[in-house]
Amino acid sequence: MTDQRTTGSPAPSAQKPRTTRPTILATGPLMTWRGVDLITAAMLAVAFGVMFWGFDTFIYPILSTATAGFPPAGELMLGVWLIPAVVGALVIRRPGAALFTELVAANVELFLGNKWGVAVLLSAVLQGLGVELALALFRHRRFGVIVAVLGGVLAATFEIVFYEWYSYVADYSMAWKVIYLGAGMVSGAAVAGVGGWALVRGLAGTGALNAFPPGQEIRESHPV
Amino acid sequence: MSLTRSETPLAGAPIEVRDGALVEVRDLTWRPFGRREPVLSGVSLRIEPGSHVLLAGPSGAGKSTLLRALAGVLTTTESGDFSGSVLVDGAPPAGSSVGLMMQDPDDALVAGRAGRDVAFGPESFGMPPDEIWSRVRTALASVGFPYDEDRPTNALSGGETQRLALAGVLALTPRLVLLDEPTSMLDPSSAAIVREAITSAVRASGATLVMVEHELSAVVHGVDRLVVLDPEGRVSADGPVGATLDTSSELLVAQGVWVPGVPAPRPLAVDRALCAPAVTRTSGASVSSDDQVLVSAESVSVTRQPRASVMSAKRHLPAVQALADVCATVRAGECVAVVGPSGAGKSTLTALLAGVDTPTLGQVRAGVALPAGSGTDAAEAIHGWTSRALAARFGWVPQQAEHVVAARTVREDVLSTSRLLGLDDEATQARVDGLLEVLGLSALSGADPHHLSGGEMRRLALAGAIAHGPSVLVLDEPSVGQDRLTWSAVAGVVVAARDAGVGVVLATHDPLLIALADRRITLSAGRVVGPGAATGQVGGPVDRPAGPVGRWAGLAGRSGPLSVLLASVVLIFGAAFISDLRTALIAFGIQIALAPVVLGIGRPPWFRLLPGLFAVLSVGFSNWLLSPGHELSTGALAGLRVAFFVLPGVLLAARIDPSTLGDHLGQRLRLPARPVVAAVAALHRFESLGEQWDQLVRIRRVRGLGPGRSPLARGHHLAALTFGLLIQTLRQAGRMAVAMEARGFSAHRRTWAEPAPWFLADSLMLALGLAVAGIPLVLSRL
Repeated sequence: MTDQRTTGSPAPSAQKPRTTRPTILATGPLMTWRGVDLITAAMLAVAFGVMFWGFDTFIYPILSTATAGFPPAGELMLGVWLIPAVVGALVIRRPGAALFTELVAANVELFLGNKWGVAVLLSAVLQGLGVELALALFRHRRFGVIVAVLGGVLAATFEIVFYEWYSYVADYSMAWKVIYLGAGMVSGAAVAGVGGWALVRGLAGTGALNAFPPGQEIRESHPV
Repeated sequence: MSLTRSETPLAGAPIEVRDGALVEVRDLTWRPFGRREPVLSGVSLRIEPGSHVLLAGPSGAGKSTLLRALAGVLTTTESGDFSGSVLVDGAPPAGSSVGLMMQDPDDALVAGRAGRDVAFGPESFGMPPDEIWSRVRTALASVGFPYDEDRPTNALSGGETQRLALAGVLALTPRLVLLDEPTSMLDPSSAAIVREAITSAVRASGATLVMVEHELSAVVHGVDRLVVLDPEGRVSADGPVGATLDTSSELLVAQGVWVPGVPAPRPLAVDRALCAPAVTRTSGASVSSDDQVLVSAESVSVTRQPRASVMSAKRHLPAVQALADVCATVRAGECVAVVGPSGAGKSTLTALLAGVDTPTLGQVRAGVALPAGSGTDAAEAIHGWTSRALAARFGWVPQQAEHVVAARTVREDVLSTSRLLGLDDEATQARVDGLLEVLGLSALSGADPHHLSGGEMRRLALAGAIAHGPSVLVLDEPSVGQDRLTWSAVAGVVVAARDAGVGVVLATHDPLLIALADRRITLSAGRVVGPGAATGQVGGPVDRPAGPVGRWAGLAGRSGPLSVLLASVVLIFGAAFISDLRTALIAFGIQIALAPVVLGIGRPPWFRLLPGLFAVLSVGFSNWLLSPGHELSTGALAGLRVAFFVLPGVLLAARIDPSTLGDHLGQRLRLPARPVVAAVAALHRFESLGEQWDQLVRIRRVRGLGPGRSPLARGHHLAALTFGLLIQTLRQAGRMAVAMEARGFSAHRRTWAEPAPWFLADSLMLALGLAVAGIPLVLSRL
């Protein structure tokens, strides 16, 4: 059970310059997940699963029919599926958060039924690892929009280069494969990267992330 | 029944208490980061072993916070300055000796079946399966749980869930039991029964009990001590129940505490102009009662088909009849109370009368006294009205009032619907400020609505529902979580609205509020009954037909989830070796031939296969289009390559039960237990998150925020819904974390209540998967 005396994150000292917002890291040892970290990541993933289900059922068929004449355009939607990884990573700020969140979200799709079957799990692993790599490159110390965009781009790249090139688009000409990758990267950057980052900021502003570093950053910058 | 008061042991001697725990709180102060004032301030308490203590105080006094501190889970979701000490039997609270039951029992649910849910605590503390199940049975019996261990947890009523949650706490045989308003979610008769079950179970266990309760009169006879916290989080009164109530009754009433024996509060006198309808219809000379009808439900029935569920993808869920053949009318200037036991259909009927739900049979139409909005055909059923038209005439506060947040500040939120409707701004603002004043929200008018307490949120929702001057005001449990003072304000608004000519509908358990109504509609099991009629059990079939019996369910039907999953995954890698059309056709042909062996005999589930077939076609088409040679065979090859792993994968995934998969991942693959358990617990929330989404859609509609026609407006609408759902999800995750930590989630090396066996069928399944996956590799070498 939690020791009540190890309270939260270190509040930044009063001397800290007001101009830069402090980056608050996860509480305690980076690899030691709190119970609330695990449950929140899993619940976020299931909430995204609910939305994926709606997207898969109502929106995706329309958009993918609309882009049937030019399939790479369909890949501009890829970023939607990468959001859980980026959001999980930016909220929890521990190694493995992106992978865990994306995997649980993929499980929701798997159990409900989806168009790719068990392959969604493989995709989730690759996408999660892409975001993990972006965070690791910044040594889990930076969680701004740049890291989020890099995470989205790497997630899309991993998904396409290590999986889709061998399965869904295996027989495309090389030029088309590259265009397909480009579309995925743009979507990963804009939808998952910028979108995921903005979403976390918005959620932090409502106080819903007070148990997590992004919420604590907001609170420290506007003391109540 | 044992209420032994062990004497305090000599200093330094080990504490020997047979039954309850000794609790010592010394100078406890707690200020969460981001708050200026502490929530608890210098609290000192000594609670003797086996005693039963009632903790009271106005809302926001820190009662729940003190319970969390006693359970040792204060810092699970919050961080802040903690000073002083909390000792249970001389040590910081930890382990299985303290049990905490939270307000909403749904927050404690972690499993799909009752027995497994109760087993969560014993599993967390690493008990062997035999002991786990004997504890589960004892705990379920001690709370009078009416079903067996296999009862699905989503088929329980509120009171049954409450008992299950208590069994989950008692399964760890805690020596200190902490209960946070254990019956606040129940109707009075269920509450009394559950309260009795709780008291007798706790007494039998001999544990020390600390209970927070709103309704003092119901519990004072079951406790021996009353501790009162004041709004600043200090102990303001402490002693035997009777004496303490006598000496500080006046103070408690002044703070808004519901003190037994004190006359009920009266509705506040509220200026009618604040609640008057924006549009009134002058109905000439004739004032027959038909002319006064605002809205009427004509023999409406509602049948709910459960949404697709993660946990029951392979099971058939029967539809549930929520409302059967109900007629109801609401007239201008009257207040109608919809009453009945929990689950009788009150919320469903009120949602229909507010135009936010659609009847399966029958119609809800506007009456002659309800002026239709511009562009609305008055004869059309109100569920078909546009969002704006509905908002102009109706106001609705759902039971989950925390879902209603429409703007960034409290004042903007209350103004939002009026602004959308283009009402005169100056008058509206005066009205909004008046309502905020009456409802005690003036000081918070600039605050972010998300930061309000539950009771404040409910009053905000009421202000937002009435500010734009609707003709019909529909309120679902408006007085929950209100103290005496805020109750008066809420009741005052209801009375003022009625007197100003609004038709008010209240779904409520609150006898004081029911007494204010002019008329009652009593529901039982989805039907209207005469007043005083016997109350039936909550309606709807919940028993699920088992899977097909006797028929060959295929190898997959006999295998565990792990072998099925692994067999599906290896096919993905096998597909990478499909490089010519001949290989593709042979491999896919073998799969089709094997399908009856693996999946059993029967019609393929086309509905489930459809997305996969669509995927195969689109992959085939795009590869033909964008390949260098534009050859038809290239497209066919690409399509078959995907079909090789997608179609079996889709069908096999339907055979996997997430809970069982969790057991296998933890025990067979030895994955870390906590992430697996957290994921399974979260997957069980899929259905309830889906319901919350539906509720958010309804609220936005009745507040005039429904989506417009343009794609941009629809996109904005979806973004707002997503954001709202995520906020609810995060808050719920925090409450779940507290409940799970209180049952030892992070405490120990976990054991598993149920085994993860590997049978011959599993080995065969995996071998077959590998063999099929290897076909392309072998054929390409031939």
